[in-house]
Amino acid sequence: MTNLSSGFGVALSPLNLLCAALGALIGTAIGVLPGLGPPATVALLLPVTYKMEPASAIIMLAGIFYGAMYGGSTTSILLNIPGEAASVVTCLDGYQMARQGRAGAALGVSAIGSFFAGTISVIGLSLVAPAIASFALKFGPPEYFSLVLLGLMMAVYLSEGSIVKGLAMAALGLLFGTVGIDPVHGATRFTFGVSRLLDGFDFVVVAMGLFGIAEVLVNLEAPEIRDIFKTSLQGLLPTRKDWRRCWASVARGSFLGFFIGVLPGGGAIISSFISYAVEKRISKHPEEFGRGAIEGVAAPEAANNAASTSSFIPLLTLGIPGNATIAMIFVALMIHGIRPGPMLLQEHPNLFWGVVASMYIGNLMLLGLNLPLIGFWVRMLRVPYHFLAVAVVFICIIGAYSVKNAVFDIGTMLAFGVTGYLMRKGGFPPAPLILAMILGPILERSLQQSLISSGGDPSLFIEKPISAALLAVAAFVMLTPVWKRMWKLRRTTRERAG
Amino acid sequence: MKNLSEALGSLLLFLVGVGAIIGAVRLHIGSPTEPQPGFFPFLAGISLIFLSSIIFFQGWLGYGQKKAAFGEVRRPALLLAVMIALVAVLDRLGFVIGTFIASGLILRIMSVKSWRVLIITSLGLSVGTYLLFDRLLGIDLPTGMLARFHFMKSGLFWIF
Repeated sequence: MTNLSSGFGVALSPLNLLCAALGALIGTAIGVLPGLGPPATVALLLPVTYKMEPASAIIMLAGIFYGAMYGGSTTSILLNIPGEAASVVTCLDGYQMARQGRAGAALGVSAIGSFFAGTISVIGLSLVAPAIASFALKFGPPEYFSLVLLGLMMAVYLSEGSIVKGLAMAALGLLFGTVGIDPVHGATRFTFGVSRLLDGFDFVVVAMGLFGIAEVLVNLEAPEIRDIFKTSLQGLLPTRKDWRRCWASVARGSFLGFFIGVLPGGGAIISSFISYAVEKRISKHPEEFGRGAIEGVAAPEAANNAASTSSFIPLLTLGIPGNATIAMIFVALMIHGIRPGPMLLQEHPNLFWGVVASMYIGNLMLLGLNLPLIGFWVRMLRVPYHFLAVAVVFICIIGAYSVKNAVFDIGTMLAFGVTGYLMRKGGFPPAPLILAMILGPILERSLQQSLISSGGDPSLFIEKPISAALLAVAAFVMLTPVWKRMWKLRRTTRERAG
Repeated sequence: MKNLSEALGSLLLFLVGVGAIIGAVRLHIGSPTEPQPGFFPFLAGISLIFLSSIIFFQGWLGYGQKKAAFGEVRRPALLLAVMIALVAVLDRLGFVIGTFIASGLILRIMSVKSWRVLIITSLGLSVGTYLLFDRLLGIDLPTGMLARFHFMKSGLFWIF
């Protein structure tokens, strides 16, 4: 409690309040605007935070992440276009509610449910995080190797598309992560004589290319169509009947989202889909789902907000970023000379508790921003995409250049932009690549230290109980799709034979 | 061959994997007891080769997922061309002039037809982002040709 109150002392300083408000506002805006996701926005705004205090920087970037979850529902409900991926499932019932003249109730339940879920998740974070951090202090190199491997496997498993492609992207990311001077032996690897590559690829530059430029390139392919559904936005507060129907869904979505967010690789997208599926399965009226069921809006919106907050737990306690946006916040911490992990809570308690406290405040701010400003967000959607696209391109250029004041980095960003564009076209998920690039050096160091200490004997990884348990979970995660496919094949064969 | 683009993508990854292994061998792989700089890239290269082979055969047999179809590629290609040209001349032209021209071209690519909108937006974006990032946030953007008119930087924009 003392820690949390000192955190409020940090979060309530005028500058940090401004940063939280700014982050929540920017987050809501990018959540509303289709075509620019939270990872790209956090990457774009990293240069802005270079001269800020670390706590203020992380408070602002965290605000962008959970703000985007709030904002994403607006376009899903009013346009049937999800502002970001975690709101895809909200389209199913949210848009139907809007068509039935209940857009206000859908937006209201989404905002209030999100606030409730965000608050539950922040409480959970402040209770769970210190326990995980103190447990993680027992981790040695073998445990860290297994944990990072599990994190990567989960990121691949939970990313969209083929698992094999996700794994291939993770392997490519590990390879890209080796470019530059080897941290153990000091040898130069894969720089091809380019001195600018001695420090390796900069994560900010890579993320801006993979998420910012690639997103603009993909969006430029399709003609711009934004048909804003005209409906009454009066009566934003859901009725008593609505609340009776959806309070349990909000609660279930909040808890489910919290637990999925804590998993390495878990996050807002998967939690929203799972909570929707759970609600549909346990509902007495599953036939209403997809036709404007308020539970179909309440549960996924609560889940994605809870997950976005709880996904900070693996980052702040274990130093493992679970998704692309959190990976960018990992980079922000590194830029400010702070190493995320179990020691963060002991070495930088003000930052840790300041960020946690700012999330409480940020959730309140978002409630204030979302409901009264819905009309403004809708009007913002009328801004033509080409203005947004040019602004994104310029901010990417400035962001890449500002890393080392070198035009070379803009070129690198463009190369990764083209790579990201082709990856999306080929169904290769970009998130495992950037996560593997960030986690690669930790994985390599812990692998080498473990092997050296065991005299080259890999059985060390299964002799240590924590490491063995983590590896078992990683193996289970990877083998699940194989079992599923084999089971499906057997059933099909039986049906044919029968 | 049922999915050519999938097979081509996997072939590219396969070649990257082979390149990584060659590079790793040159760096010295070492042994598990004494891993050398090439040890980890070697493992990553092997994994990449193995996984790209699976993707190749999935594409060959038509098991691969449906890939996103390419839409109108002219606009993305033109945008890239403008950005590559900007990278080539940014140091010489400087940020304000370079981005003013580039944003005009990008907006034109995006079918903005009104010259007034084009010029006002380009000017607003290039000068606006320069003032915000260079003057306000202290990111040292290239001055290029405007370096000759140093008084502009210290004089005209002093109020910022």
